[in-house]
Amino acid sequence: MRILKYPRPFFMIVLVNVIGFGLLYFYKTPYDHKILLAGLSMILLIGAGYFTIRKVKLGEDYLFLIAGMLSSIGIIMLYRLNMTLGFKQLIWFGMGIGLFFASCFLYRKIQVWERLTYFYPALSLLLFAATMFFGRSIKGAKNWIVIGQFSIQPSEGVKIIFVFFIAAFLKHYEKQLKELVVFHFKMLKVKPLHILMGIAYMHFAFMVIQREWGTAVLLLLVYFMLIYVYIDSNRFLLVNGILAAAGGLGGVIFVNHVRVRVDAWLNPWADIAGKGYQITQSLFAIGSGGFFGTGLGLGRPDFIPEVSTDFIFSAICEEMGILGGVSVVLLYFILAYRGFKIALYATDYFAKILALGLTLIFGFQTFIIIGGVIKLIPLTGITMPFISYGGSSLSINFIALGVLQALSAGCQEEKEAFDGVRK
Amino acid sequence: MELENKRIIRVLVLLCFLFLSIVVYLTYFELFQKDKVLTSSYNKRQWGQEDATLRGSILDRNGVVLAYSTDNEKKNKRVYPFGSLYSQLIGYNSSIYGKSLLEAQYNNELLNVREFAPILDLQQKLAGEQAIGNNLYLTLDHKLQMKAKKLIGNRNGAIVVMGPRTGEILAMVSKPDFNPSSEKLEQQWQDLIESKEHPFVPRATQGLYVPGSTFKVLIAAAAVESGMSDRTFNDEGSIVIEGKTINNFGNHAYGTVDLKSALAVSSNVAFAQLGVDIGDYKLKDIMARAGMNKDIAFDVPVSTSRFPYKDMSKLDLAAVGMGQGKLQVTPLHMAMIASGIANNGVIMKPYMVDRVVSATGNTLMTAKPSVFSKVMTTETAAAVKDMMQYVVEKGTGKSASVRGIEIAGKTGTAENELSMKLKNKEHAWFICFAPADDPQVAIAVVLEYSGSTGGKAAAPIARELIRQVLR
Repeated sequence: MRILKYPRPFFMIVLVNVIGFGLLYFYKTPYDHKILLAGLSMILLIGAGYFTIRKVKLGEDYLFLIAGMLSSIGIIMLYRLNMTLGFKQLIWFGMGIGLFFASCFLYRKIQVWERLTYFYPALSLLLFAATMFFGRSIKGAKNWIVIGQFSIQPSEGVKIIFVFFIAAFLKHYEKQLKELVVFHFKMLKVKPLHILMGIAYMHFAFMVIQREWGTAVLLLLVYFMLIYVYIDSNRFLLVNGILAAAGGLGGVIFVNHVRVRVDAWLNPWADIAGKGYQITQSLFAIGSGGFFGTGLGLGRPDFIPEVSTDFIFSAICEEMGILGGVSVVLLYFILAYRGFKIALYATDYFAKILALGLTLIFGFQTFIIIGGVIKLIPLTGITMPFISYGGSSLSINFIALGVLQALSAGCQEEKEAFDGVRK
Repeated sequence: MELENKRIIRVLVLLCFLFLSIVVYLTYFELFQKDKVLTSSYNKRQWGQEDATLRGSILDRNGVVLAYSTDNEKKNKRVYPFGSLYSQLIGYNSSIYGKSLLEAQYNNELLNVREFAPILDLQQKLAGEQAIGNNLYLTLDHKLQMKAKKLIGNRNGAIVVMGPRTGEILAMVSKPDFNPSSEKLEQQWQDLIESKEHPFVPRATQGLYVPGSTFKVLIAAAAVESGMSDRTFNDEGSIVIEGKTINNFGNHAYGTVDLKSALAVSSNVAFAQLGVDIGDYKLKDIMARAGMNKDIAFDVPVSTSRFPYKDMSKLDLAAVGMGQGKLQVTPLHMAMIASGIANNGVIMKPYMVDRVVSATGNTLMTAKPSVFSKVMTTETAAAVKDMMQYVVEKGTGKSASVRGIEIAGKTGTAENELSMKLKNKEHAWFICFAPADDPQVAIAVVLEYSGSTGGKAAAPIARELIRQVLR
């Protein structure tokens, strides 16, 4: 029984891929060998990545496995929905693994990241300007740059840049900026915290202008958590809270797009054919799956709008059941838990904030989109990390994961040193 | 660092809570909201299942097929071999107009939609076989149903025949009815929905009628409960209550009558007086026990019978005493009240689907008789039964009598919104059960705007049905 000697989590991923792609292969006649090939590539890619991490002792080995499992589920689902999309996503996945290692090594080799404080918002601004200038509207949100055959969604990158900025800023803030007054203008004292606030709200504004409500909320939540953890000032938290609440309330009252979403959330049945169409179709799908699902290939996720991106969770619930959906939620939870552990063990401030920020991006993004498609909270279009179709999204997720991996390798060394001392 | 780590853990707890809320909400949705959501007509999946599954058949208690589906080149067609006979029970199943009655209520059973179906039927699906739905076996008796429909003829109204001990429905006819086949429905839809006769309202279960004198059986029961069994009334043909004169039907004066004779001749004077004497407290009490204003859970939707009184004036009490006023009941409910008296005061919950049987012959669900309400004590029921027997022996229900069978019944000729303005528009009612000492069958008959009395028009229908059942 040699096979049992393989590490069990990896074995589970192999099993999911064998079952998933196997079912897809047998489901359609004539049999398409490309499906089996895709499954094999998935196993090989994840295997290669995993054994590299173990070989090079790159720290935490679960992060990559969880991302691998999520991507497997996503790609199986995409193959089931649309072979072409599935294949494209597989290519993106391969490139994503490359980006994962690249970002991991780059982060460890080059130690400039915490000194680029004002470089980050400048980069965000540049990306934003580029989007506004060259951007194209796809489905109501002007957030795509189209280059040749590819379309890139810069806002995906802005999420990470934003976290890097806060981490770099707070690191210096902790050290020396706390009491500093940047400049006096008559009675107005501009402190570093005001600069942080200004730049953060600039990011939210970018997202609102691009009508990326989901990302705006995501950044706001991450910002809030980070200032709660790292800035010891209830007053600052309160001021931010009031501002955010006022902004949210204003949005609901004055901005039609936001109001429509809230209406569709409160009572989608009032206008099933119109405003409530997406969410009700999603609920039909989730409901018809029941606890155990209809089985892969046996449901009708083709009735769900935007099924390959925003609503992929509904398709998972339909065909893999609510139990399948809950397992996906739990996978994200372990991912977040691992991220939190890295943040807890990290000794360097920059690493600590960065780890927490990136983890929160994964965690909240998952909650916002899943909560949206199951009608727990208003729906805002945002991708599901590692599962939704999309090259930009997958690449950025893997880059973020690579950074987390690098941070975990850093704290692993420290932990080992620490354990050594204790012994 | 300590403080930050503490806060990081708090953030982790928050995230835990958020993720948990997703899991809890999904479970809640699955358990409590799903059924309501999935039946929405906007859910295209319903028709996907429809095409992939051969819908189950519906059969009577002896196995006579009342509805079945055929499979013609991947298009399923629903066939109703008896045309309109069961239209007000089984309803229709149309890809254009949706489903109604049993076809709608038992859609999941007929299509075999179950929680575990995807797993259990996997083999079948992979083999590309067409799934087959479950069959419904009803408690109905096809021969009795045909007889009932023949007896009601072209008149509008309803007939309900049920087993008083169990609550099983043996026959149920509502008129007008319609042909439920898809082609006929498509041809006639506009006429049917615009028709003034409202053929899509099944009279037996959703028709609300003034009960008239049939309701006096409940008042008699309340009188017995109030210790008025031995009361006598001086019936001079009319009585004045709060300035309003109440007359007997046909203005007959019956002289001095006891409770039994008052019911036998259906004296309005006596029962108006009784209503006032019993008083609103006891009247409301028996109304509640009889199931007025109470939803009746049945295999198809049932309208709730109405007793819409809060503070009752003497006139209200008198009106309810003779079964008039604002009272409204369904024929099914009147059959249940007759059953309750037959069944020693216990009304059984009505049911029509006896069992659900899978295509392979496994029984998936069997109906179990259960109690709807205890309307009166055994003693009171025996007393009322005795009075009702006298109605058929000597009173207004004579035309229901069958030689050799003891029948307990009550006639009714109900005033309604039309009979106030026009002559001969009263509803004719008859409720009964038989044999009186060992009740096998309880019947309610109502003929809309018949212009005849319950004794003349409705009682003979009941007589013929009793003959057929007890033969």
